[in-house]
Amino acid sequence: MTTKVTINRLATGVPGLDEVLGGGLPEFSFNLIAGQPGCGKTTLAHQIMFALATPESPAIYFTVLGEPPLKMLRYQQQFDFFDAEQVIRSIRFVNLSEDAMVGNLDRVLRRIVDEVTLHSPGLVFVDSFRSVVQAAEDTDGSGNKLQQFVQQLGMLMTSWQATTFLIGEYFDETDANPVFTVADGLIWMRQNVQRNSMVRKMEILKMRGQSTLPGLHTFRIGTAGIKVFAPASGAVPAPSIAASAAGASANAVRLGMGVPGLDEMLGGGLPRGYSVLVAGPSGSGKSILANAFLSEGVRRGETGVMAAFEQHPNKTRNGELFDLIESGKIGLVDTRAPDLSIDETVLLLLNEVRRLGATRVVIDSLSGFELSLPPTFRDDFRESLLQMVSVLARAGVTVLVTSELEDRYTDLRFSPYGAAFLTDAIIVQRYIELGSRLRRVMAVVKVRASAHSDELREFTIGADGIRIGEMLPDQEGLLGGRPTRKRALDLSEPAANASDA
Amino acid sequence: MDTQKSPPGTAPPSQADESTGAPSIADTMVWAWRDINVVLVPIVGERGVAALHNRSLHLTGKAFPWLAAPPGGLEAIVDLDALHALLTLQGTEAATDGGNALLRTFHDLLSTLIGLSLTERLLFPVWEKYLSASPAQDPSP
Repeated sequence: MTTKVTINRLATGVPGLDEVLGGGLPEFSFNLIAGQPGCGKTTLAHQIMFALATPESPAIYFTVLGEPPLKMLRYQQQFDFFDAEQVIRSIRFVNLSEDAMVGNLDRVLRRIVDEVTLHSPGLVFVDSFRSVVQAAEDTDGSGNKLQQFVQQLGMLMTSWQATTFLIGEYFDETDANPVFTVADGLIWMRQNVQRNSMVRKMEILKMRGQSTLPGLHTFRIGTAGIKVFAPASGAVPAPSIAASAAGASANAVRLGMGVPGLDEMLGGGLPRGYSVLVAGPSGSGKSILANAFLSEGVRRGETGVMAAFEQHPNKTRNGELFDLIESGKIGLVDTRAPDLSIDETVLLLLNEVRRLGATRVVIDSLSGFELSLPPTFRDDFRESLLQMVSVLARAGVTVLVTSELEDRYTDLRFSPYGAAFLTDAIIVQRYIELGSRLRRVMAVVKVRASAHSDELREFTIGADGIRIGEMLPDQEGLLGGRPTRKRALDLSEPAANASDA
Repeated sequence: MDTQKSPPGTAPPSQADESTGAPSIADTMVWAWRDINVVLVPIVGERGVAALHNRSLHLTGKAFPWLAAPPGGLEAIVDLDALHALLTLQGTEAATDGGNALLRTFHDLLSTLIGLSLTERLLFPVWEKYLSASPAQDPSP
């Protein structure tokens, strides 16, 4: 039997935060929540407090010189987590502003100790800690007293078996603030503003005794409170080797695309669990193909999920798809929220996939997706796409993504992001000029680990959707956009051909 | 918690019966304010309660000019001696009505700031002790 101490981890009640923290908040830890004004520190503290406080393990929230308590109570109760019934029963608010105003840290500490001794709280919050720091500096002029204060507070709170949070503003993370050394956990909250977009991000700089998810994690503040979006890669666990083998055999199952003839071109349909990129210029029929893919799933008794970044399905333009969404067979992820991150989008997709038990997912389109992202995420768009596609694949769904492709007749490209390698299959659509008309051709460029057609087939779009026609064997140079009629003499007159060369 | 409790001031203070006169009413009111201080000072600080008290005096002063707060309103604490003196100077009925109106205004003011449920959650012990307001009844058919 082990005699090592077992550290309990508390569920914070903040969606996504426990995951980022590496399994919850260590009990009796001494934590600092830092960040600029307005970044959500007090909200985070309240959300954790209302989730964890009980009459047996109550919370004390000490307000110092930051936000006036009346205002704090006024605004915090706008959040769903604020339950007035818990106040007094399991949550006490204690004002220390008058003690802090005289700058006597001993007096502040004494008040805290008195209250903690009296009520034996399981949770202690001190908000805002910066004002304690300032009060000390104003009177003492040095940080020594503060360091003593923090060390004493940390020691006392741990001895009193209280999980403690200091909420502080403006801290410069490069500053060797003594609080950072003493704290067991450092939660840094930021607001990233670029142009007109604002993205909130959180970083766990330190959490003693456990492995946290590194890096910046986006979060959003809504009426329910704070929601953290942990990296998409963690949203679905990586499959075991046995599960991968089972998945490989599942790939033998092929899904119909809903476009007559396309399944044959794909070698018998799209293998289940694959991702397919449909690339083509504007108006070539990518969204129509995507809609057909979802509708075909419903015809076969499946459900699907769609993230539409360009045009939202409506009754007049996409009648059939609209009806399927209305009937609940297709879930539509709302992509209109401002400053949506890729991690958040993946989470929205996965939630909808789980809710509907969906097997097919459409993202229409990558170009629209990139444009909807705040500038701060665009640099990492390609990496994030790879992560998104692999997470969705791990979730077992078959994914179709469309991508706008500027027609360049001098090179054969499938994605403006170099994202072609991300997907298991690629279907490309092109315009060609023939007989003074713009006509469309389609080809299957790749289907990983599967035979597939190499034909370049003409297709048309009518009221009943995409209709794939024949090859244009008498034309050559189709991908150059301006095909020419093959010369009939080529085969019948080799001598003449040779002389031409 | 019984959130159906009537707002304060809808009935005279039970321990400040009109027959006992204004001085007794003044005593009861001062005790009520002391209890309010006990509940609220730890949460919003003495200055916070004093600011709310002054605002309540100002608002109540429109109907009871003798209660109107002196200009300034920067007091660090609730001046209970001044309140006691003011109430004692009034007739019994005026002291009862004015004292109740002040409590009701304070209650309403706090409700607009932190909501009715949290206000009643915090001040319920005070109302229960000093106000005999019976629970609101549905009107008879």
